[in-house]
Amino acid sequence: MLVARILAVTIFIVMFIMIITEKIEKQYVTLACGLLTLLLVFGVGIGLVGGDGGLMKSAIVDTLNVHNIFTPGFWYSAGEAAEESSGINWATILFLTGMMIMVEGMARVGFFRWLCMLIAKLVHYKTISIFITFMIMSFVLAMFIDSITVILFLAAVTIELSQLLKFNPVPMILSEIFCANLGGSATMCGDPPNIIIGTAFGYSFSSFLTNTGLIAVVCLVVIVFYFYLVFHKELATLEGQAVDIATMPEPKSAILDKKGFIVSSVIFFIAVVLLVTHAMTGLTVATIGVGIAVITIITTAMIAGGKGVKEIMSRVDYQTLLFFIGLFIVVGGLEQTGILVLIANGIEVVSGGNFYIMIAIIIWVSGVASAFIDNIPFAATMVPVISSLAATAGIPLETLAWALAMGTDIGGSATPIGASANVVGTAAAAKAGHPIGWGTYCKKAAPATIIVLAMSMLMIFVRYL
Amino acid sequence: MEKQLIVSVSREYGSGGHHIAIQLAERLGIQLVDYDVFYEMAKEKGIDLHKMRPYDETRKKPFLHRTVRGMSNSPEEALAEMQFEFMRHKAESGESFVIVGRCAETILKDYEGLVSFFITGDMETKIKRIEEVRSFNREDAVAAIKRHDKNRKAYHNYYSDMKWGDSRNYDMCINSSRIGLDKTTDVIENYIRSRVEE
Repeated sequence: MLVARILAVTIFIVMFIMIITEKIEKQYVTLACGLLTLLLVFGVGIGLVGGDGGLMKSAIVDTLNVHNIFTPGFWYSAGEAAEESSGINWATILFLTGMMIMVEGMARVGFFRWLCMLIAKLVHYKTISIFITFMIMSFVLAMFIDSITVILFLAAVTIELSQLLKFNPVPMILSEIFCANLGGSATMCGDPPNIIIGTAFGYSFSSFLTNTGLIAVVCLVVIVFYFYLVFHKELATLEGQAVDIATMPEPKSAILDKKGFIVSSVIFFIAVVLLVTHAMTGLTVATIGVGIAVITIITTAMIAGGKGVKEIMSRVDYQTLLFFIGLFIVVGGLEQTGILVLIANGIEVVSGGNFYIMIAIIIWVSGVASAFIDNIPFAATMVPVISSLAATAGIPLETLAWALAMGTDIGGSATPIGASANVVGTAAAAKAGHPIGWGTYCKKAAPATIIVLAMSMLMIFVRYL
Repeated sequence: MEKQLIVSVSREYGSGGHHIAIQLAERLGIQLVDYDVFYEMAKEKGIDLHKMRPYDETRKKPFLHRTVRGMSNSPEEALAEMQFEFMRHKAESGESFVIVGRCAETILKDYEGLVSFFITGDMETKIKRIEEVRSFNREDAVAAIKRHDKNRKAYHNYYSDMKWGDSRNYDMCINSSRIGLDKTTDVIENYIRSRVEE
């Protein structure tokens, strides 16, 4: 097993380094490393050197996890929580695919731009009001839609409004990014780490909403106040300027396909209802993802024909989906060789069995790591770690799961590279001639991150320990 | 000039490449595209390029930026892409122009009217020129040459498959220290006119 462990850790470290260097596209990195895991860790390490053919076979089957798709529990799980599974998390893949298709369907008809323009109009194009409402909108949208899409549209509209209303868009974009990441932490489908955690442990949408969701809402109130204090002077200087509302773009001009717009809005509403009620209906997130994708494709085909469907499908982020598949295999290598159990044991030893210290370690280590590296591989790696920690130390798994979710979701907010939304938001700003350096970004976002992580930790201490 | 002519001038810092490009634009009666032109272009679009100046002709810093869905949050890359888009647009419109640096010989390599040059220089001559033009002392001039050339090389090689200053990448590589800037400009001008007549 030692050879297999060394190989698994080496592949994992090489994968991480290659993801960070961006020399090769990340999906090719994880897929190649996944293939190496199957060949070297399972085939050579466990099979050839370890001489355990049976274990090799079960490790490969468990990691590829295809059999799980053909079990009824994968699609429908009434009452009891879904069974935990290791290896490729197909539920996450299918759910993300479905949501991506739905979101692209909404984007095709101009939904997001319309929503942003409508809110700006409702607050009479007042800079401070836009600033606050856009933060809240970012939070709410990111609860259901991936934060990359939310920021992609919010940042674009913010830049457009900043040119019309003559304000500096940087404070607004920074606040929107932070709130999107915070909103993502509130639900099971808001941020990929939550989907991974939720599907791995069979948690429901409402269990996230009533736990991390509650923490996120309390933090949102504090954070809106924080960003207002930090940025209001920069934005207030322009408040006095008269704005000719008549010259502003009409929200409805953003709608590119009226029929498609209505249908997309209905599909979005159905998706939200299905997610909120999935613990009651028994429909798993995989079923919801596939269902929403099918409805979006059928309705788009009826309204816009094959061209519309082609447009949506061409925009789906296949790279991320392939990235996930490869990643899960590499993490499966660590899991099957027992590396993650060793890490869990290490956490238990360091904390001396103290639950408070364990939670603090999970939150802050996840937070700091996610500030610099992609939080998705980190969360995928930590899921088996906390599972093992809960089994050996006796701490409730849910408590660790909420700590991990908050740490990974929020930690990424601290730096410009910590989360995908940060990259997309700062990229949009740079493209518009507003470069946001590390200094500017961290000066405002890092304290906010520390505030939210500290608040999360305290709330978890008070509520669960 | 009936046919489109795009003169790309790549240069070492202190070699007088920018000066040669100005002379060429004047002699050929075509526009010079350097940072000032990019600035005007950006201003028309409501983009404030002043803030972007520190990122001009530098490659993105490794590990400090990421790319998501094809969007990079590196200001260096954002500025480079803006400039490349502007160059392509200008070339596509059929205009003739002289362009200084910015990987133009690679970005515009598909245009028939492209003639590319790389201006090098002897270290001593370059130091003297920087001392004069920038009023630097010798030590600062040497440091500036090393810094700028390192940045330009890294920037160029990031966007191009060919190495910066590799003679196979240009119509002509010339050392401006040997016959001075004016005569170097003459040689280049003669070559361009011969190319145009072809």
